[in-house]
Amino acid sequence: MKYLNRLDANLRFLGALWNANLLSAMEYRAAFLTQAIGMIINDAMYFIFWIFFFNKFKMINGWEMQDMILLFGLLAAGLGLARFLFGNTGNLADMITHGGLDYYLALPKPVLLHILASRSDFSALGDFLFGIFCFFFSGNLSLDAFGRYLVGLLFSALIFITFMVLVQSLAFYTGSAQMLSGQASSAIMTFATYPITLFDGTSKFILFTILPAAFIGSVPAEFVRTASWLSLLEMLGAAVLLTTLAGWAFQRGLKRYESGSAVQTQVL
Amino acid sequence: MQRQNALSRQPGKYLSILQIQVLNRLAYPVDLALQSLTIVMFMWIFMQLWRTTYNASGQQAISGLTLNQTMWYLMIAEAIMLSMPRPSRTISTAVKDGSIAYFLNKPFDFMLYQLAALLGEYLIRILFNLLAGGIIVWLMVGPPPVLSALPLVLVSMVLGWLISFCLSALIGLSAFVVEEVSAFEWVYSKFLLLLGGVLIPLDFLPAWLQKISLALPFAYSIYGPARLFVTPSLERFAMLTLGQLAWLAGCGILLLVFYRRGLARLAINGG
Repeated sequence: MKYLNRLDANLRFLGALWNANLLSAMEYRAAFLTQAIGMIINDAMYFIFWIFFFNKFKMINGWEMQDMILLFGLLAAGLGLARFLFGNTGNLADMITHGGLDYYLALPKPVLLHILASRSDFSALGDFLFGIFCFFFSGNLSLDAFGRYLVGLLFSALIFITFMVLVQSLAFYTGSAQMLSGQASSAIMTFATYPITLFDGTSKFILFTILPAAFIGSVPAEFVRTASWLSLLEMLGAAVLLTTLAGWAFQRGLKRYESGSAVQTQVL
Repeated sequence: MQRQNALSRQPGKYLSILQIQVLNRLAYPVDLALQSLTIVMFMWIFMQLWRTTYNASGQQAISGLTLNQTMWYLMIAEAIMLSMPRPSRTISTAVKDGSIAYFLNKPFDFMLYQLAALLGEYLIRILFNLLAGGIIVWLMVGPPPVLSALPLVLVSMVLGWLISFCLSALIGLSAFVVEEVSAFEWVYSKFLLLLGGVLIPLDFLPAWLQKISLALPFAYSIYGPARLFVTPSLERFAMLTLGQLAWLAGCGILLLVFYRRGLARLAINGG
């Protein structure tokens, strides 16, 4: 009961943060819309590459155009959701290095949750919408498939966020991890946009372990396509492991956190 | 004002700005080495993709390019893309927060200052990217088809870089008119990736799109130098240079006009 109450309180807290972020976006409507629409065009233009590619080469190691559309549908929506609701996911290392956690530490709310959700990346809404749009063209039009798609994109978002938290928590130990964070983010997103069947044994091992790109793209896509229990278990296992590791690394690192006593203004 | 204009035309000071930027970048060799890992990662992924594609097609050459040529082409194209100037960010920030005012009363031209500083950064980044990318591609597919054309390729890379500078600076200057320019940056970057031939050689695109792409400045920035590297010829170099100079003149004039108009409507409040 105690845990349920805490979960309820945290969910209400998250809801209040997201509401405040949305209200803030509405204050700058033109910028918000420009960024969201710009991102949809940006995603669509990148995807054109795959349209021409599969138009010329038809099939690559069992992957066809429809598979790529589904993969993009999951990746764009999953990562878009992560960055829209937890917009500080990519800024954690910078905040740790520059003493940006002081404000959050002084408040009686879960620190990591508060940090991640206190900002929204407005352009990510464009990613999310593009992803949903892709799903409807992926040839998986059934209520069951849509349900699996929602589960897949939630896992994709969670695994991406926890991986980024884990990598950026290194900043507590090294002092600066911005470069590593940028590289890790770029690497996981880049590898996830390619069919997993392209990669050989060693590469696959890396993409399922050190750089878990397979769990944010190919595995959720496999789950949507085949309703495979194994894929669901793989995503669940990766999510539980990464959430535990990220939480542990952040809490442990927090004990080493040194503030620069910088004077800051914070709205959320 | 006349004195300031005269001062701002001295080329020596821009050379100094360029040198300072080069030294700045060289001061952090670990950062540079880590940044170069990006091209290694991309080339490795491209290798997986194109090796599979060539195997699946059962052909030695696709649209006239062998796997070796395609990989070296992609390496040059990716190195250029990763070393691209992004004056749009600095210029739009300077316009939006008003810090452009601090530059305007200095004895140098704001735009030439940006050009010199970014060129300094470019020279170092492209060097490291070519080195890291060259090593990994050499290990994967062997030596490049021809190395003798490298000086010509370097000339075309610099001209292509100047075209990119003008286009990106124009995006930055649009901050004089609109609040947020990041959406224009993303779309421009995707034009470079697709129509510039970074993701896929333009030769592999449908004929109609190839024709359109080859006429646009993005191809002159990236595809032209990369294609010259794998299939060099004096004729190709001459055609490329002519096209680059024409686009550079067009984009340069446009930039000058927009910059002057932007300054005329600049309003800075407070101190």
